[in-house]
Amino acid sequence: MCLLPLVGTAFPLNSKKAPETQDDLLSVQEALQKALPQASAATVCIDLGEGTGSGVIISPDGLIMTAAHVSTAVGKKVTVIMPDGKKLKAKTLGLRADADAALVQIEDEGTYPFVEINKGPAAELGDWVFSVGHSGGFDKDRGAVVRLARLVRMANNTIQSDGTLIGGDSGGPLFDMEGRLIGIHSRVGPQLPVNMHVPMKVFIESLEEMKASEFIGEGPFATAPEKGAGFFGVATKGVEGGLEITKVGRSSPAEKGGLKEGDVIQSLNGNKLATREELKSVLAELAPGDELELEIIRDGKEEKFTLNLGKK
Amino acid sequence: MEKKKNSHSTLVKNSGLGVLIAFSFSFSILNGQQSLETNYRMTGEAITGMFEPQREAIQKFSAVIYDGRDEIVYGVVISEDGYLLTKASEIEGVSGLNVRVDRQSFKKAEVVIVDPRWDVALLKVDAKGLIPADYAASSDLTQGTWVIVNGATSRTKRRIQVGVISANAREIPPSGGAVLGVQLKGDDGKLVIEDVSEGSGAEKAGMEKGDLIINVEGTKVGDIEELMKELEGKKAGTAVKISVKRGDEVLELDVTLSARDELFQQMDRNDMMSGDFSERRSGFPRIIQHDILGNSDTMGGPVLDFDGRVIGMNIARANRAETFAIPVEELKVLADGMLAQVPK
Repeated sequence: MCLLPLVGTAFPLNSKKAPETQDDLLSVQEALQKALPQASAATVCIDLGEGTGSGVIISPDGLIMTAAHVSTAVGKKVTVIMPDGKKLKAKTLGLRADADAALVQIEDEGTYPFVEINKGPAAELGDWVFSVGHSGGFDKDRGAVVRLARLVRMANNTIQSDGTLIGGDSGGPLFDMEGRLIGIHSRVGPQLPVNMHVPMKVFIESLEEMKASEFIGEGPFATAPEKGAGFFGVATKGVEGGLEITKVGRSSPAEKGGLKEGDVIQSLNGNKLATREELKSVLAELAPGDELELEIIRDGKEEKFTLNLGKK
Repeated sequence: MEKKKNSHSTLVKNSGLGVLIAFSFSFSILNGQQSLETNYRMTGEAITGMFEPQREAIQKFSAVIYDGRDEIVYGVVISEDGYLLTKASEIEGVSGLNVRVDRQSFKKAEVVIVDPRWDVALLKVDAKGLIPADYAASSDLTQGTWVIVNGATSRTKRRIQVGVISANAREIPPSGGAVLGVQLKGDDGKLVIEDVSEGSGAEKAGMEKGDLIINVEGTKVGDIEELMKELEGKKAGTAVKISVKRGDEVLELDVTLSARDELFQQMDRNDMMSGDFSERRSGFPRIIQHDILGNSDTMGGPVLDFDGRVIGMNIARANRAETFAIPVEELKVLADGMLAQVPK
């Protein structure tokens, strides 16, 4: 029996264990230079306020793959920085907390540069690959940084390359030599050549759930929101027509959201409120970071407020 | 004298702008899995061994610089009669400088001139018939182009490491701005030095606690704002003429400005995962960048293109993922300028 060779556009040098001629070396350079412009154009910086990571656009309408430890939560507002420095509004979709995979969607309308995903046979040990990312944060003059590497270790939910990653690269793309996405940067070991990526398989098997903004799996890369652990920061008493705020905690989410003593809450996220127990049971279903939409009466007038729950 | 190393016990900077990467709880996940033999990795002999013509060029015109028997940095040979360039801050204060080029060993090397702006020193060894670096026409190579640099070395053989051009050429401004390295107090129209930072340009120029700064580059200064105005826009590595009053005496000092973050060596999280990076890694007029692994000891050598010509000189291991090199255009001007300044 003899196996038929695979048909496709696989990078020829991957069939050799090592380059055998200087022309083999030049074939690496040629492939990299051909694939790099589009790969870099689609590699974005994700600014979370408290830090930055990277991501890669995989559809013309701005769907982004990144790492779960970059997005950290579902439904969070983030800023995406394009290679030319343009800042775009974006929202985190679902994530896999067990394998460091996540999606982000650009919300500003537009047609964005994107890369193709390698959906074919998994990348193999020894394959030539390259990493791109906004190492150390966004730098327009520098641009995204590329690193040429080989795949040096393979495991179920992790592939390892010898192209060095650093903070800020997290969530950025790992490509095969045709410029197809094969992994997302995740973490590093203490030695320079130890650099870990999440393989595409993990993203592909959970793509629909992540698109539907599901939080999948338990840790270690993201912590699931804990229901009932949200902090609002008001004391209330039931009055006619709602729930009156008798005290607003200093620096609480309620104070930051603009609520004041004497405001009468009529409804919270569409639930009419008349008693403290009702407020408690609505909050019991929500988690830190969740959004509260409040209808209140202040000085006889109806007003609306929106704020996010803090952490107890 | 012992070469200064980065102290990894310095303060952890809380920069506010954190950068995200998780650490290595994955070793256990990977253990026992498929692994590529070291020989076939980017630093392995099966890859680097394919670059033999380029290695031979490195063998000819790169230098290995030692303090006694310790390899401390590499260099680039720029003349037949024994002039070479290296990274100045790596040889500072080293008394036992000696050099190896190809198979020849030179027991004595003299520092002739230092250019603080580029952090480059011109060294001279007693030699004849060396092979000077073969400069490429341009450093303007497409990202992803192969580059070749010094790797490990033995007495007789230079080894190499390989990688690619990895980002746009650009200026690297001094990290945290350029500073004198003194603590000052404005006191009734007088500018008093309260403290002088260790290792700063101010200390090297001989500034002392209690000195009054009275004049910067010919302009009188009486308070901190006036001083800052005079220093504004100046780069780390530039020398500034400063007059200080000490007792009844007025001293004229040339103070080389330091990059604030390098002077105080505050480590952020990315620094802590970057191993032994270069102490002087910012404040360069223009650099090209590549992705070859290294540390502070592997700087100073030539960066070659695939034709074995010099496209630059390694000048800073910036961090885990980035290495900077002086582009050949600027390197040629620097080398020629330094050679022209050599006292006859």
